[in-house]
This record gives sequence, structure tokens and C-alpha cells, in this order.
Amino acid sequence: MSELVTIYIDGQPYEVPKGANLVDVAKFYADNGIPVFCYHPKMEPVGMCRMCLVELGTIMRDRDSGEVITGENGEPQVRWFPKLQTACTTTVTDGMVVRTNTDAVIEARDDMIEFLLTSHPLDCPICDKGGECPLQNLTMAHGPGRSVFYWEDKVRLAKHVPLGELIYLDRERCIQCARCTRFQDEIVGDDVLAFHERGRELQIITVSDPPFDTYFSGNTTDICPVGALTTADFRFEARPWELKDIASLDVYGPEGANISLSTRLDRDAGGIVIIKRVMPRQNEAVNEIWISDKTRFGHHHTRAAERLTKPKVRVGDRLVEAEWDHALEVIRKHIKPNVSVGAIAGPTLSNEDLWELRKLAQAVNAGAKLSIYPATMTGGDIIAQVGVGVGTNFKDMGSGTTIVVVASDIEEEAPIWYLRTKVAGDRGAKILVLNARETRLDHYAADSIRYDYGAAVSAVNDLAKHEAVTNAENLVLICGAEGMTLEQHGELMNACANLLVSTGHVGRPNNGLLAVWEGANVQGAFDVGFSTEATAEMMAKVPDLLFIAGCDPIGESAEAAGLSKAKFIVVNSLFDTPTTAVADVVLPSQSFAERDGTFTSGERRVQRFYPAQGVIGQSQTDWRIFASIRNGLNGSAVQRLTAGVFKELAGEIAAYEGLTYPALAVVERQFPDVGGDDLYYGGTAYQNNGGLGVQYPATSEAEGAKPSKFATKGKKTSYKGLTAIPVNRLYDRGYLFKYSDELMQQRIGEPFVVINPADAANIAGGSRVGVTIDGVQYEALAVVSEDAPKGFVLMPKRLTSQPGPFAPAAIETIEVIAEPVGA
Amino acid sequence: MLIEKYADRIEKTFSKYPDKRSAVMPVLYIAQEEYGWLPDEAINEVADICDMDPTQVRSIAGFYTMYSEKPKGKYWLQVCTDLPCALRGADKFHKELKEYLGVEEGGTTDDGMFTVEHVMCLAACDKAPMLQCNFHYVENLDMDKMKALLDEWRAEAKEDK
Amino acid sequence: MFSGFWMTIKHAFMDRPTISYPEERRPVHERFKGRHALKRYDNGLEKCIGCSLCAAACPADAIWVEAAENTDDERYSPGERYAKTYEINMLRCIFCGYCEDACPTEAIVLEHEYQLSFTNRRDAIYTKDMLIDNPPEGREGTPQTVEPGAFDRSIPDMENPK
Repeated sequence: MSELVTIYIDGQPYEVPKGANLVDVAKFYADNGIPVFCYHPKMEPVGMCRMCLVELGTIMRDRDSGEVITGENGEPQVRWFPKLQTACTTTVTDGMVVRTNTDAVIEARDDMIEFLLTSHPLDCPICDKGGECPLQNLTMAHGPGRSVFYWEDKVRLAKHVPLGELIYLDRERCIQCARCTRFQDEIVGDDVLAFHERGRELQIITVSDPPFDTYFSGNTTDICPVGALTTADFRFEARPWELKDIASLDVYGPEGANISLSTRLDRDAGGIVIIKRVMPRQNEAVNEIWISDKTRFGHHHTRAAERLTKPKVRVGDRLVEAEWDHALEVIRKHIKPNVSVGAIAGPTLSNEDLWELRKLAQAVNAGAKLSIYPATMTGGDIIAQVGVGVGTNFKDMGSGTTIVVVASDIEEEAPIWYLRTKVAGDRGAKILVLNARETRLDHYAADSIRYDYGAAVSAVNDLAKHEAVTNAENLVLICGAEGMTLEQHGELMNACANLLVSTGHVGRPNNGLLAVWEGANVQGAFDVGFSTEATAEMMAKVPDLLFIAGCDPIGESAEAAGLSKAKFIVVNSLFDTPTTAVADVVLPSQSFAERDGTFTSGERRVQRFYPAQGVIGQSQTDWRIFASIRNGLNGSAVQRLTAGVFKELAGEIAAYEGLTYPALAVVERQFPDVGGDDLYYGGTAYQNNGGLGVQYPATSEAEGAKPSKFATKGKKTSYKGLTAIPVNRLYDRGYLFKYSDELMQQRIGEPFVVINPADAANIAGGSRVGVTIDGVQYEALAVVSEDAPKGFVLMPKRLTSQPGPFAPAAIETIEVIAEPVGA
Repeated sequence: MLIEKYADRIEKTFSKYPDKRSAVMPVLYIAQEEYGWLPDEAINEVADICDMDPTQVRSIAGFYTMYSEKPKGKYWLQVCTDLPCALRGADKFHKELKEYLGVEEGGTTDDGMFTVEHVMCLAACDKAPMLQCNFHYVENLDMDKMKALLDEWRAEAKEDK
Repeated sequence: MFSGFWMTIKHAFMDRPTISYPEERRPVHERFKGRHALKRYDNGLEKCIGCSLCAAACPADAIWVEAAENTDDERYSPGERYAKTYEINMLRCIFCGYCEDACPTEAIVLEHEYQLSFTNRRDAIYTKDMLIDNPPEGREGTPQTVEPGAFDRSIPDMENPK
């Protein structure tokens, strides 16, 4: 805890941390909301809007003795600043005296509001921000209620300026607080917004190409204190007061970003409650108040027209719709004693689903294979041992901390971790990037270490001698799996764990290992007893009976094609996919929005999400489907509530011991206090009403724990000939995101491959090429760039409708199909 | 391409600053010299040279009046109309000059010779009315002197051709 | 007793207070609050901009509005926003007129029509088609195709206080 000082706000003394910002402190400790427009607790103050003017003074002390000088009435004398000061650019010092309710302050606020309104349009009835607008609220609270200015002098500017595909700018409404430009510059690092001209002509512009190209653009609409920036997704969908906010979680990434689903009944959706927009929910330890655009705009799959509404059963070579009872009966008929069983769990299954799937599979055959898709990464058990300590928070990382990112382009794979790593770097943390190619994070790295694909393990082993690691007080390793087979990634995880254990950076906060899992609940799947090794085994020897839930392996991964050989396949799916096409029974499951459950994030934080959307068709929750199959099988008792399933799970899985739904739903007050009704402070709708979740301790945190050594063979793999390296992209055509609306579709883009100029002898950038791997041709746009190391071709996963390779694969040929357009 | 044509000058500019980004203003001047004003392609080139986002470069070009964001005539006449100049008749001079050339504020004559606009203080209040022609000061003006000057410049331009 | 007869006789010759409704209808007061109507501008565009303030003001929660975006090719109302769905549940409505007060464009007005009867609940929901006025004579209804940029403001401009 930092040093405390005493300050006086409106006559009352408060003990507050030294050096904190006056606006933050007044809000958190004195519950005194100093009105602000330009100040934001997550960004550097600029003092542009002048709304936060207060009277400021210090208690006078005698220069020699240091005694407080008192006046005639015994009160300490205060030396006031001659003029009002901006609270947002003031850091608190001992003996500071602040007055926020004097006539001078009130008049100053009134004048500021009056000035701001001289050029702000009276759009409130049609403005998407109307009802949750800081300017609207502060005008009601402070303004003079009249204006001495002429209406004719109001500026008239363009009202409908698209800044990129996702965000609209209304120039008239902008009050020039620079929150958006500062967010893009300070926090994201994509400085694609800026002011142009000056004075009354000042406007927000972007001339970048493509415009406003960033994965975090939606956040600018939250922090905009007026309706100048609004999202194309929520445009005119509903008024804020009509929405009901339901706490939920991001389903795409391993970060476990907390979100709020704003829901309302919708006529076009058949009168059910649907998600109108996704807003971030404050969780200072997880995503603070930021979410990526994929999280924010990728909710349309929950009510896509392609959603399955009824079970389907195979009759001959066709799948025909059937009633639930019949479908379950068909499944039960095919479950015979000692049949070999496999279960494949997608990354969006909740812990409860996984638990019931495990129970079902093991009820059929105790030796059932429990596997995770995608099977690209392993080491959930290593995370459970040497994962980051409880209380780890990127926000606390600064000088003295070293963050190492290995084999991952985390901007694409875990955007929130990227953002928070970058900001930690700005605070003084050292960022080391180990990768075979250049990534965006290299820009902020203290050191970028390049290795050849296949040599990541030795690069990590060499780190032990790196100055940034040996001098580090805290060390966090973020480990991805780019350019690796499952086996190689196991080696890498061992090497990372080994580095942390040998340098003593385990078992305490802000130290340990993070894995960039491909999905929201991969860690949970490992915890419940699933593994990716089992997936590999299963692909080698396909079991007779196969349960696949929450994923589309056959449609996405070339390696999974063999799964269709299983004798009887049951698929729980939201959509018709290539996987359901080979199934014998297809059961419609529910998306995250229709149900409740828990996810375990990459930081081992178990968090709850709640039902928000109306149920589509006859779909059912995955765990309930598994439970009813099991119930009909041997009559064993099943839980009726999700909470009951979790209780059962927590009783059996050691790491989850003691966790209950109420414990996960506990909300504590967080600093800065940005939730609540005073939207001017932190932005719109950040209140956390769903719980902060609980991070379960890694085994290395137990008292007296001696983390075991992790051995690595340190074997390098060298690739001969041209090799395809599958890479992750944030916007892809994966199982869920494929069903986004048009808005996101245009952001996904065409399939492409990146080829090094040295390998692209007769291939011009922009031409269409056919890349042949293992006899299959993949058509894509060729990008010729140094981004791909020599001898390697970067092939983004899940961009085509064709299943592609998930592990490095030798390229047989690359042929040009069509020359670039216009060449 | 600026980077090829002015490689030496750009290199020299970079040597004066701690990083490339800091050199954006001098490089913008070079771009303006080359193009006469700052079209999008110039902005993109400068952004590439200084390793910045084009939006930031455009923002800088928009903020400072020394950079022109519109095509301008061969002679760029910037009349100072701030208070001391105005007291000495710069306002009237500015208005008459525009009327004489038949242009609006910031506009260019049809023959592409002259662009007239007003600017903030040029620090030559004692010699007002004054203007800046392509960054060179012309002082103690009145309309008669101005007309003579304009003719002179027209002749000069003809010779150049 | 005679006074009683007198009363009867007197009333027998008085004007009848009853009227033969529905052939005849009693006039209502100027400020009578009857069924709602959605108004149009003289050019045929709808006044309603789908802001949902009427629904917010409604104490009986009788109004349901869903908005959508105008384009110049398909323009329903001035400005960017119009009401895609506008429904009033007449069983819920208490005819208080708060919606009229809340409306920023004077689009919703409680008119003098009071003959509201339905035989089932679904019929009690009056949709936008039923509520909206006919376009003024000689004007087309909505959507209209208009000159780009001609109607970029939703709310009529305010004037300086005199």
C-alpha cells in the first residue's frame, strides 16, 4: 500500500494514497463526483475541457518550524490558488484543501456547459447515447439552463461520417475532449484518429488506410462523453433505458473478458429477447473496462438464421428432423457395454458441460477418451502448477516486471492481453518477444528475439541468461503455439515452466505462466480432465462412439478428417457444419447467451455468465443434453440446475474445491470506481453486477510447495523445403464467428497467405495462388512480405471454408491461379 | 518520390532529432516544396518517411497555417490581419486585395497565379499593412504599391515560362 | 303525489338527453383525449423519428417502438432515424396524454376518436399503419426518395428567443 496523505475536500478530511489523481480520489474516497469530460481514469490527464475546475489550496505551514499556521479562530490558514484549478491535472499532496461547491466553482461549471452547448446539436431524441450521455446528465446537473448565444451561430457539420466499417462519427456532437484519440494513441497504440485544424474548426479525422483499423475501436464509443462516436452495430437498435444488462463472458478468447449483454425484446427476431449490444463490464483484474471488437460485435451468431432448432437423426444417408425423445432413444440404442468412446469438447463448452460430458463418457466406458478441440496446445496441468499466482494483475505490472511473449501474435490471439501487456510496457515493464517472425508487439518490446520455426525451445532455454530475465523482480511468460505441433508445444511449455521454476518466478502474484489458449474455456477443459493429447490419440485410432460438442473439427482442421470414420457420432451444435454432416444424431445446443455456466480463463479465474437471450427453437444446454442421455442410460440421478452441476464438479475436482456460484458472483468495489450512474467519469455501462470470479491457486502457491522440475529434450526441428505455418487471426471463419452479421463479415477478409520475397520468385503480391499441401489445394491471395520468414509461408487458420492444416506442413507446390487485378 | 529526390536533406533533418517522428515538420516543408501543397500522396509519403500514421501527419498539417492543404497559386499571399496590423488598415487592405484579384478568402485567381488568405501575427506590426509572399515579407503596403507588385510578379512568372 | 305526476309530465315533454348512437354521435371537447394519431409534415414525411420518448413517458407501458435508419433513397422521416415498428396497446393505454407531451416533434397526438372495441387481445394492438395519418393531398406517402442532404436534421431547428 502506498503512503497515505490527508486532504480536505469540502471541509472533510480524507486519508488518500499519495500521488493519486484528485478526481479519482474525490470520487472513490469522498464520493464527490467532480464533473469531467476529457479526463478518464485510464488515461493521462490533459485538462482540455475545463469542466473539473475547483478551488484549490494548501494549509500554510511555518517555514522554520513546519507548524501549521492557525488564524484567529484557531482554524488552519489556507493559501488558496488565485484562480480555479483543473482537478484532473492535480495530484494529491499532504494538506491539500479542495472546495468543489463554492459559487465560483458552480459558475465555472455553468459557463463550461453553456459553452459546450453553443455548438452541440439538440439531437438527444435520436442519439444512441441519449439516456446515458455524460453531457446530457451534466447539463441537467450543472448548466445554467439558458444560453446567451445565438442559435444561428451553431455549427452545422456532417452528421454521418463512417470512421471505418464499425464506427460512425457525428461531427456536430463532438465536444473535442480527445478521449478517443488519446485512447487509440496511449492505450491501443494504433494512433489512427487525430484532430485536424484548430479552434472552432477542430475535427476528428482519420486518413489512414483502411480507416480506423484497430481491434479496439468499439471502446472509443464507450468513453466518448457525447454521442459523437457510435457503433454501426447498435445504431438505432434501442434506447439505453429500454435495455436490460445481463452479465456475461467473452466466448472467443482465453482472457475471460467480462461483458454485459444489453438485451431487449425484438419484433424481427420473433418476439424473443435478443442481444442488442455487448458492453464491457469492469473487472480490473481481467479486462479493466476494455473489450476487443470481436467480443463486442461478434454476438450475432447467437441468433443467426442458421441456428438449429430441432434434433436431427440419420435415416439412410439423410439427416431428418426428429423429436428430442426419439433422438435420445436412438443414441441410447447405440450405447453398448464396452464400446470404445471418445468425447471432443470445443473451447466454448462451460465447465458444467464438460463435467456432464465426462460423466456420460465414463458411464459408457470408464476408459473413455476425453479430448479438447482444437488440439494445438497442451499443458493445462502445467498452468495448474506454475500458472500466474493468485492476484496477478497486468495493471500492477510496471518497472521491475518482465513480460515474455513466446510463439504468439497476441494481438490476434488474445487482444486484451496484448493491450494490457502494451500498457504495462508503457509503465516501465520490459517486454520480450520471442517469435520466428515480426509481430505488432515487437514495436513495444525491449528486445525481440528471433528463432527459426522449430527452435523455440532452445530460444526459451537461452532466456535464462538474458539480462531482462535475470534482473526481473517479476516474470510472466505468455506462451503460444505458433508454428508447432502438439508435441513441440508440450516441450515448449515444459521449457517455459522450467525457466520460471529455476529462476524462482512461481507461486506469487505477477509471476508465472500464461498459455494463449484457443478459446474461452480451454483451461477449464484441462481442469475437468480433458486433454489435447487424447485428441491426437483419437485421431490416430478413432473410437466407435464419438460425442462432439461445441466445435466443428471436420470443417476447420484438415487433421480431423479421419474422425468421420467413427461408427456412431453424436454432435451437439449450434449450426449445420461439416461435422454435423457426418453425424448420426445432431442435437441443437444453446449458445452462451441463452444459458448460464462458468468459464475458467487463461489466468485460472473461474467466472460466471448468465442467461440473457431467449431460447432459439428447441435447443438445450449441452450439460442437460448429456445428463438426459446418462439418465436414460442407467437411471442415475442428474442435477436439475447448473449450480448443482457446478457444486458436484467443485466437490470432485481438487482445484475447484470450495468454489460455489454465490462465491463467484461476489462483487467488490474497484478502483477507479467507474461503474454506476455517473457515466461521465469512466464511460458507459461498466457496472459489474455479475461477479468478479475467483482465481484458484496454482499448486506452486501452496505453503512449502516445491515445484517439480520440468525436463525438456531441447530438440530442434529443422524444416526442409517450403513449409506452411498456420497462424491465428482474430477475425476468422471459425465455428461461431463465421455466423456474424455483414458488419463483421467485411472485416474478416479474403483468405491469404504470406510468402517471403525470396520464396516468391514468380509470384507477384496480390495474385491468387493455389497452395498444395498433402494433395489438397488451398486457394488464397498472395501477400509477398518479409513478415514471413524465408522458407515459410504463413497460412491463417479458418479463413477458408475448406479445412486447413493446424500444424506446420510441407508445401508441395504453389502455383499462380490468377495474376493481380490491374497488373 | 520524396525519399529518393531529397534523400540528403531528409537524412540531414533526421540527424537533428532523436527519432524520425520528431522530424515530421521539416519533412512536411520538403513535401510542400515539392508538391506546392500537401495532397494525400504527400501526406502518405511523409508518413512513410517518418514512420508515423498518415492521420497524425494530416493532423499536424491541419494545425499549422504554414502548411497548405489546398492547391494554391504560384504566389501565396498571406496577409496579417491581427489587431496591430488591423489598426493600421490591414483589414481594409486585405479586403481590397481580394476584391482586386476577385477571389474569396483562401481562394486562388483563375490564372493560378495568386492565393490570398489571412494569417495570424507575422511579427511585423511596425511595417503594417504587410503580407508574406511565399514566406518572404513584403512590408509597408498600400493598394497602389500592391498593384505594381502584382504586375511585377505576373511579368516575372511569364519570363519563367 | 301530484308533484310526482307533475315531474313525470314535465320530463315527458323535455328534450331527450339520449341520442341514437352510433348513427348519431355526441361532439367531444376540443381537448378530449381519444385514440392516437401519428402526424405527417406537409411534404408527406412522418413526424415520428422513433425516439421512443413516448414509450419512456407512458405510465402504462402501452407503447412499443423499434427504430431504424433512414436513407435518402428510402426516407420515412427527416433526419437519420424513423420508427420501424410503432405499436400502442389500447387495452393498456389510459389516455393520459403523456406521450403527446414527451414527443419532441409533435408527431403523436391524441385525437377525438373514441370508438375502440376489440374482440380479442391481439386486435387491441394498434400498429403504425393503423395509427399514421394519410399523406396530405397530392403528396406521396413514405418511404420517399429525396434529394441527398435535404433532410439531415430530425428535430426542427430552434429559433432565437425574441
